[in-house]
Amino acid sequence: MAATAVTPGTRVGRLSVPGISARVAAAGIIALAVFLLPLFLEEFQNNQITRAPVYAIIGLSMNVLMGHLGQISLGHQAFVGLGAFVSGFVATELGLSFYLAMPIAGLFGAFSAFLLGLVALRLRGLYLALITLAYGAVAEESLFNIRALTRGGEGMPAPRPAEFQSDRAYLYLSLIVLILVLVIDWRLVKSKAGRAILAIRHDERVAATMGVNVTFYKTLAFMISGFLAGMAGSLFAHWQQTVVSNDFVLDVALTWVFMTVVGGLGSRAGVVIGASFFALFPFIMEALPLIPDTWHDDVPRWVPLIGAGLLLTTLILYPGGIGQQLLPVRRWLAGGPFREHKKDRKRKKQKAVEPTAPVPQELVHPPAEELPTEEAPAPAADRATVQDGPPAEPPPEAAAGDGQPLGTPKRGLLRRGFRRKGA
Amino acid sequence: MLSSIVNGLINGTIYGLVAIGLVLVYKGARVFNFAQGEFGTVAVFVAWILNTDPPGLPMWLAILAGLAAATMFGLLVERLVVRPLSTSPGVNLLVATAGVAIAAISIQLLLGEAEARVLNPLVAGEGITVAGIPVRPQQMIMIGMLGVVALFLYLFFTRTSVGLAVLATSQDPLATNLSGINTKRISALVWGMAALLGGVAGLLQGPVTVFFPGFMTATVLLPAFTGAVLGGMTSLPGAFVGGLLVGVAQDVGSQVIPEAVTGSAELTVFALLLLVLLIRPQGLLGKEA
Amino acid sequence: MAQLLEVRNVSIRFGGLQALQGVDMDVGEWEIVGLIGPNGAGKTTFFNCLTGIYKPNTGTVKYRGKDITRAPTHKRVKLGMGRTWQNLGVSRDLSVIQNMLIAQHAHVPYGPLSGLSGSPISFNEERKLRRDAEEILEFLGLSEVRDEIAGNLSYGTLKLIDLGMALATDPEILLLDEPTSGMGPDEAHKLGDTLRFLRDSLDLTILMIEHHVPLVVGVCDYVYVLNFGQILTRGEPAEVQRHPEVIAAYLGAEDEDGAA
Repeated sequence: MAATAVTPGTRVGRLSVPGISARVAAAGIIALAVFLLPLFLEEFQNNQITRAPVYAIIGLSMNVLMGHLGQISLGHQAFVGLGAFVSGFVATELGLSFYLAMPIAGLFGAFSAFLLGLVALRLRGLYLALITLAYGAVAEESLFNIRALTRGGEGMPAPRPAEFQSDRAYLYLSLIVLILVLVIDWRLVKSKAGRAILAIRHDERVAATMGVNVTFYKTLAFMISGFLAGMAGSLFAHWQQTVVSNDFVLDVALTWVFMTVVGGLGSRAGVVIGASFFALFPFIMEALPLIPDTWHDDVPRWVPLIGAGLLLTTLILYPGGIGQQLLPVRRWLAGGPFREHKKDRKRKKQKAVEPTAPVPQELVHPPAEELPTEEAPAPAADRATVQDGPPAEPPPEAAAGDGQPLGTPKRGLLRRGFRRKGA
Repeated sequence: MLSSIVNGLINGTIYGLVAIGLVLVYKGARVFNFAQGEFGTVAVFVAWILNTDPPGLPMWLAILAGLAAATMFGLLVERLVVRPLSTSPGVNLLVATAGVAIAAISIQLLLGEAEARVLNPLVAGEGITVAGIPVRPQQMIMIGMLGVVALFLYLFFTRTSVGLAVLATSQDPLATNLSGINTKRISALVWGMAALLGGVAGLLQGPVTVFFPGFMTATVLLPAFTGAVLGGMTSLPGAFVGGLLVGVAQDVGSQVIPEAVTGSAELTVFALLLLVLLIRPQGLLGKEA
Repeated sequence: MAQLLEVRNVSIRFGGLQALQGVDMDVGEWEIVGLIGPNGAGKTTFFNCLTGIYKPNTGTVKYRGKDITRAPTHKRVKLGMGRTWQNLGVSRDLSVIQNMLIAQHAHVPYGPLSGLSGSPISFNEERKLRRDAEEILEFLGLSEVRDEIAGNLSYGTLKLIDLGMALATDPEILLLDEPTSGMGPDEAHKLGDTLRFLRDSLDLTILMIEHHVPLVVGVCDYVYVLNFGQILTRGEPAEVQRHPEVIAAYLGAEDEDGAA
C-alpha cells in the first residue's frame, strides 16, 4: 500500500503500484461478481433479483431530488408509475419498440416532475413535502385509474423486447440501464449543472449571488429526477410484463423514500446498496437458510416493517446512511487512506462543527460524495504549471510593492487568468 | 346542493378531528405528524380485538383500552423517535413520522390480515335525517366530540399555564428549559394528547366506515392535513373549520368533476391544498406562513 | 471615472417595519466605499436590495447606467456584482475547491447539458476553471486546504474562502459584508492591504459594510452612514468620524439597550 504519508483526497498519482493494483483488483472483483452472478442462478431467481437494479434506479432518481437538490419527494410514484403505464401503453397500444417506449416513458416522467417542480419554486420544506404527497395521491387515484391505461383494471401488458426475453437477459438489460444511470449521475455531479444544484441545496440566495439561475436549475433537477424515474418505471413495467396500479401505491412510494434515506442521501453507492437491500430482502431470506420455510410466505410483509425500522435507525443513529459507512471504502478506492491518520482525526475533532448548521438545511447529508480527484486524469505536466510560480511576465499594474496581501505574497501573482482582465 | 353540503360537513368532522390533532402537534413540536392517522388505527384495532369473542369485552371497556393503547403508542413514539430527532432539521422528523406510520401499518398487517372489518358502534340505532342525508348516532357523537375537543384545547392553550408552557416550548425550547419548565415532560404531554385525540378520531370513524390496516392514513390523513393548512397550522379553531370545509369541498368537487374522472376527492384536495399554499400560506386563521 | 453604482431613493418595508427609507448612494469606479451603522440599521438589507435578493418598494438601482432594480440576482452577477455574506456563503459539506468551482458558475462557458454528456469542451473548461480557482486560493494563502471539507476549517479560514468565492465570480464591484468580523486587529490591517491590492491589480471597486473603524478610516475613500434605514450622513472617513450624530447613533444604540 501507499508508503507516503497521504492526506485525505490524495491524487491517484501518489500511490505505489501495489496500491493501485489492490484497488483495481477490489473494484474489479465486485464488478465481476455482480455481472457473473446471473449466469449461475435459476431463471426464477434472476427474475426476482431484477427488482434490485430497478429499485436502484428509482433510488438514484430520488437521490437527485432529495440528495442533490435537498427537496423531499413523497409522491415519487407519480413519475415512476406514469413511466410504467406510458411504456406499456406505447408498446402495446401503439406498437412501438421497447427502445422507444423507455425514453418516451422517461419524457413523461420528466414532464410530470416538471409540473411538480413549478410548485416547488414557491414552496419549501414541510409544505412542499405535503404537496408531493398529495400529488402522488392524485396520480394514484386519478391517473392510474384511467381505463385506457389500465385496461379496466386488468393491467396494461408490457412485453419485453425480443432481444431480452428471458429473465436472465432482462436482468442484464436492467444492469446495463443502471450503469447508464450511474454514469449520468456521475457526470451530473461533476459538471456545472450538478454544482449549481448542490449550491441551491445549501442556500438558494447564496447560489444566486454566485450566478446560479435558481429557477432554471431547480426545474432541471426535477426534470432529470422525473426522467430517470420514468425510465425506471418502464424497466419495471416490462420486467413484470403487466402494469397494474397496485404497484404504485403510497406505501410503495414511502418505501422508496426510506430506502434512499437509508442508502444515504448524496451517495450513489449507498443508494444503490440500500435500494438493492430493500428489493432483495425477501429473496435473501428465502435463498439463505436463515429462517424456517414456513415463514417464507410472510417475508414480503416484513419488508415495510424492516424498512421503517432501518429508516428510524438511520435517522436517529446514522444520519448519513449506508453512504456514510461506506466513506472509508470509497476514499480508499479513490486513492486515499482507508483509516484516517491520527493527526487528521484529532484535527477534525478540534474543528468540529455543530450538527445543525446556521444555514437551514433539508435532510442530512454525508460529506461530499465526490472526492476531490482531478476531473480527467491530468498529465503531470499540467499539474506542474499550476504549482509553479507566477507566469513569465508580471502584469504591468501589479502594485504588490504596497504592502503585503494576505497569504503568500508574490509579485505579479494574479496573472491574467481572470476572464475580464486581459483575456 | 344542500344535501351535498350537509354530507360534506358530516364527512368533514373526522377531518376536523384529525386536523386538530395535527395542529396540536405542530403547535407543540413544529412538525407535521404523518403518524397521526395511525394513532387512530391502533386504537381501533385494540378495541376490536378486545370487543370480539374472545374475550368479548363490552364496547365501552374496549374503547377505553383502545384509547389507552393509542396514548401509550404516542408516548413511545415521543420517547424513541421524537426526542432524539429534536435537534435535527424538521424534515427528518417528518420522514421519521412517516416511518412510524408505515411501521404501525405493517405491524397491523402482520398481526391480522388485510381485510376490512367492522367495529361495533357505541350506540346503535337509526339516527335522524338532515336534508335527506341520514345521520347515524355514531356520527352525531362525532360531531359533538369535535366541538368538545376544539373547545377544550382552545381553553387549554389560552387559559391554562400548562398550555402556555407547551407553546413556549415549541417556540424556544432552550429558553423554556432554562426558565425551569421540564420540556421533556411537555413534549411527552403534547404527543400523549395528540395520540389520545387521534385515538378518539379513529374510534369514532371506525364504526362509520369499515376499517382495515392503515385506513386512517389512507383515507383521512391527507384531507385532514389540507384542512389544517386551510385553517392555518397554528390555529385550533382553524383546524376545526378547515376540516369541515375540506369535507364540503370534496363533496362539491365530486359533483362538479365529471363522472369519468376517478379520484375526484383526491383531485379536489390537491387543488385546495395547492391554492391555499400558493395564495394564502398561513391559512384562514393562522398567523405564520 | 464611470459611475458604477447609482442608487436613488430605495425604500423597502417588511410588514410593519420600514427597513430602508429613501436611501441614495453613488459608488464610482475603483472607489473603496464604506457603509457603516449600528446593528439593525439595515445594511445587509441594503446589500440584498443591491444584489436582487429583495426588490425594493420604491427607488432605483443602476449599474453603469443600466436599471437593474428588478433584475434577477444571477443576472447581476454576470454584470459584475460579487458579494460576501455575513453568515458565510461557504457550503460546509463540500470541499474548498468545490465551493470555488460553484462560485465560478457564471463564467462557465459550456451549457448544462454539454457538461452532462461529458463532451471534450467541458473537460477542457473544467481544467481551466480549476486553475483559476487554485490561483485565487494561492493568492489568499489557502492552497493547503484546497481539498479539505469546508466544515472542518476555522471561522477565519472560512471568511477567506468566502472572499475567494466572491473573487471567483470575477466581479467588477465587490460587495463585502463585514469582512473583518471575527478577525483580530492585525488581520484586519492586512485585509486593508489586500483590498487595496485587489483594487489596484484587478481594477475592482469595493463597497463594504464594516464595523472596524481603523479599517474604514484607513482604506475607504468615502463613507456612508446608515441608521434606522436612512442615510444619516456621508463623506470622507475623517469627517464622518467626527460627525456628532454618528457618534450619537453608535453610543445611543448602546444606551437604549440596542434596538435589535
